[in-house]
Amino acid sequence: MLFVMPYLCLFILMLIVPLAMGIRLSFTRGDLFGIKEFVGLENYARLLADPVFLRTVWNTVYFVILTVPSLTIAGLLLALALNRETRWAAIMRGIFFASFVLSVTVVTLIWRLVLIPNGGLAGVIAKAFGAEPISFLGDQNWAMLSIAMTTIWWGIGLPMVLFLAALQQVPRDLYEAAALDNASRSRMLFAITLPAISRTIALVLVIEIILQFQLFGQPQLMTSGGPNNSTRPIVLFIYESGWSQWQLGYASAAAQILFALIAMVAMVQYRISSRKESR
Amino acid sequence: MIRIAKPLFAFALALLTGSCADRDDRTELVIQRFFGACQAEFGNLTDPAQANGECGIITAMINQFRSENPDIKVVENTVFWPGYDQLNAQLAANGAPDLVTMHSSVIPDYKSRDLLQPLGPMLATEGIVPADFTAAARAGVTVEGEVMGLPMDVWATLWHINQNLFDRAGLVRDGEPILPRNVDEFMAQAAQFEERTGKPYLAQITARDFSGPMRSFYIYMMQQGANVFNDERNANFDSPEGRRALQFMRDVYARGYTTPDQDYTGSLATFLQGDAGIVVVGTWMVGELDARSKEPDSPFYHGYAVRPVPQLFDGPEISFVDGHNWVMPRDDSRSEAEQEAALRFLRFFAQNDFQWSRTGHFPAFTKIIESREWQSLPHRAAISSITRIGKPLPSFVRRQAPIENVVGEEAAAAMSGAKPVGKAISDMQRRTNEILRSF
Amino acid sequence: MPAISSRRFFYVQVVVVTLAAGLMLVPLLWVLILSLKDSAALMSDTASAFSPPYTLENYANIIGGQQVSTWLLNSTIVSLAMTAGVLLLSSLAGYGFSRLEFPGRDALFVIVLLGLAIPEQAVIIGRHQLFSAISMHNSYTALVVPGLSMPFGVFLMTQYFRAIPLEIDEAARLDGASRFRIFWRILLPLTIPAQATLGIFTFFQAWNDYWWPLVSATNHDMLTLTVGIASTQVNFAQAEGLGFLMAQAVFAGAPMLLIYVIFQKYIVRAVAGAAGK
Repeated sequence: MLFVMPYLCLFILMLIVPLAMGIRLSFTRGDLFGIKEFVGLENYARLLADPVFLRTVWNTVYFVILTVPSLTIAGLLLALALNRETRWAAIMRGIFFASFVLSVTVVTLIWRLVLIPNGGLAGVIAKAFGAEPISFLGDQNWAMLSIAMTTIWWGIGLPMVLFLAALQQVPRDLYEAAALDNASRSRMLFAITLPAISRTIALVLVIEIILQFQLFGQPQLMTSGGPNNSTRPIVLFIYESGWSQWQLGYASAAAQILFALIAMVAMVQYRISSRKESR
Repeated sequence: MIRIAKPLFAFALALLTGSCADRDDRTELVIQRFFGACQAEFGNLTDPAQANGECGIITAMINQFRSENPDIKVVENTVFWPGYDQLNAQLAANGAPDLVTMHSSVIPDYKSRDLLQPLGPMLATEGIVPADFTAAARAGVTVEGEVMGLPMDVWATLWHINQNLFDRAGLVRDGEPILPRNVDEFMAQAAQFEERTGKPYLAQITARDFSGPMRSFYIYMMQQGANVFNDERNANFDSPEGRRALQFMRDVYARGYTTPDQDYTGSLATFLQGDAGIVVVGTWMVGELDARSKEPDSPFYHGYAVRPVPQLFDGPEISFVDGHNWVMPRDDSRSEAEQEAALRFLRFFAQNDFQWSRTGHFPAFTKIIESREWQSLPHRAAISSITRIGKPLPSFVRRQAPIENVVGEEAAAAMSGAKPVGKAISDMQRRTNEILRSF
Repeated sequence: MPAISSRRFFYVQVVVVTLAAGLMLVPLLWVLILSLKDSAALMSDTASAFSPPYTLENYANIIGGQQVSTWLLNSTIVSLAMTAGVLLLSSLAGYGFSRLEFPGRDALFVIVLLGLAIPEQAVIIGRHQLFSAISMHNSYTALVVPGLSMPFGVFLMTQYFRAIPLEIDEAARLDGASRFRIFWRILLPLTIPAQATLGIFTFFQAWNDYWWPLVSATNHDMLTLTVGIASTQVNFAQAEGLGFLMAQAVFAGAPMLLIYVIFQKYIVRAVAGAAGK
């Protein structure tokens, strides 16, 4: 108990207490400078009837579907390929990790320069092939895909590193034994490697789900949620209604819904993976 | 690990002791502003006359004040645009600065929560009275009869014109650009421009930054004599005037008379590269673009003109304006001496508002507008009508900043065709009214 | 291990991964090149990036900027403190949750796990009010402490401790080692790979954290590099000096890349050591 105490104190003070304060705010109408009145469930009722908010929920889910599986799979493949002690692998690891060190401001700036139709890198390439440049960020159908691509480019380093750390824990003798049995490469992968790192796969999935549900900076800086509300995620909605529109209660209610959503998805995911494990 | 940690720690310690070495008992004046940071270029300049651009001039002005008032320790806080989130956090934590830059359009929000100190009486003791302000500046800084700050300027959206391209398009007469006087002329001239130059008539913001479409929409509504807002709880977008304004914007886009999908930087770059006839952007670019027009390799070498957005509808001659102001957040712990220091800065700024108006913004004082000094600045004669016809939104309209975002987003969606005009208008109206009724 | 067919497989891998890395690298190289260009030249034509002249002026401007050294120091202190704190607290808690028996342990752990799902936006107002109430804004404490409550570390370390065979503890206990000694001397060294991972993760979170420092550290001397640099960015009249922005990106990102390179060695070495036994 003593070992857990220091963390638990902070956990309660910095997470549970503010969360409780946020939940309380979600039943009120007010701004940053004070609560005006208690309104019960009105904020929640309003949210569920607000087409802009409902669209942000879909946008967020869509973004998670676009990014989480690709990040996980690509991260795993990279880790498998780069889990060796050669100079080449070290350099490659460095390159794939490098974009992760950039802040969101810079990442979005670069990608905007790549994606804008006139003068952007993509535009230049399209013209070279005689094609009409696609307006990646200006077209409703492309905008979220573009943001997802940007995010994958930015974030691929993290799952890769987590998988690498896990792969290095897999005992070498297992492979040696398998090699003696003339096991095929794919068999080794499915019979030894994947089971050995299943915990990490679950971990990466949970982390990515949590991270990507909180999408914010990329659309804020690349599209401001447009065009036509097609890239506004929940967190941007919370930010806009709380800080710009001074509707703190409304924003808090939206934040609680996001919390519930993440908790639900993460729990389901965790359940599935732990059931697999016990099998 | 320790081998790395040691020098790192020593480095940290050195920096730490270095940065708090000198003690300072002088009165502290904390000035928080936007307009960016440009210490490298203008950090040592104390003569604003030698600076240019918003950032350069404000930096030099504060430097000048600092050097003229050695008894005041001036702390300059530059904030991320537009800095209101940070200000809100400071106000909520009772740690607000002494003076803050604020748009006229957001003053009513802060005033309604009693977060600002009215400055009228204080300024009057220095002989600065509202009668000295231009009408638009006065309207912007006055809320419910109280003067809430010192106006710095009034700014408006303008048409910045590449005369060389206009010439090629046959749209220059006697050195003056020929501009449309109604919607039909607009379409005809834009078509002519496009045909003769192969370039779009307008470069304007239609993506990411929604301020551009919002301003155009407000202007075109106002040009029809319509109120943009009916009262403090009701917008007037869903009206024949609103629909007409947005339909016009949509038609311009649909016919390809404007650059599509460009944000602020993109639309400016297009103009700078000589790839559009007109860039629709604010007063702050006048100084910068004029300077560019004197560079021989510029596509608008000796060919830059700037005009107010032309009157395209049959209503009163009018233009939508906003302005920057200095305001003082309420703080009961602010000492007499700090108050005095702040007042001294405001007086200094009022006296030197001409320097600030070199950015391209309109000075907040009638006296300066009437001065030969200001009138002899480049292009001012061509745009000075704004000081007469410029109108901010009425100060009963609260939450203007987030509303601008909603209006701009819906307008942009309609322009690009992502949403039918009628639907965009009704969504705009509904979302705005929801915000107006949320407090 | 490598059979003959696997050699070809290896080369395919090398080619594919190297190509992908090349794609990853293009935007990064672009950043680097742009950072060496005069902003005004880029404004009228971005293609000018591909031809000289190049200049270090942007970097000189950053370093010549008033407070960059203060911000850099702040970011370093905050990120290091947060990393150290998270490592310590998470290891303790992870050990506790995985090895000790106490009432309500599993329920508590599930609650902590649920904490993972709490988005920052749901707690930021409350935190801000808490620190306002005790007038602690604009301090290193305010910048570091909220980050220490992140449950990710506890989750990771608990998982990791659980994976370590119980026999190791038991053997040590038979040797008469105290509980704390088992934790500190025997188990903790075994978790170094996890520590390195968690350390990198936390350091990056702290370094790139934007929202909390923005609203808590409003005094210019307390800004972190990420917020400080952001505050200098928007300057409409000069229309975003692209070269300058890119130089800032390199400047802010370089220390972290360095840290990664250092930590990467540690991971490999620790694992190599463990495997050698």
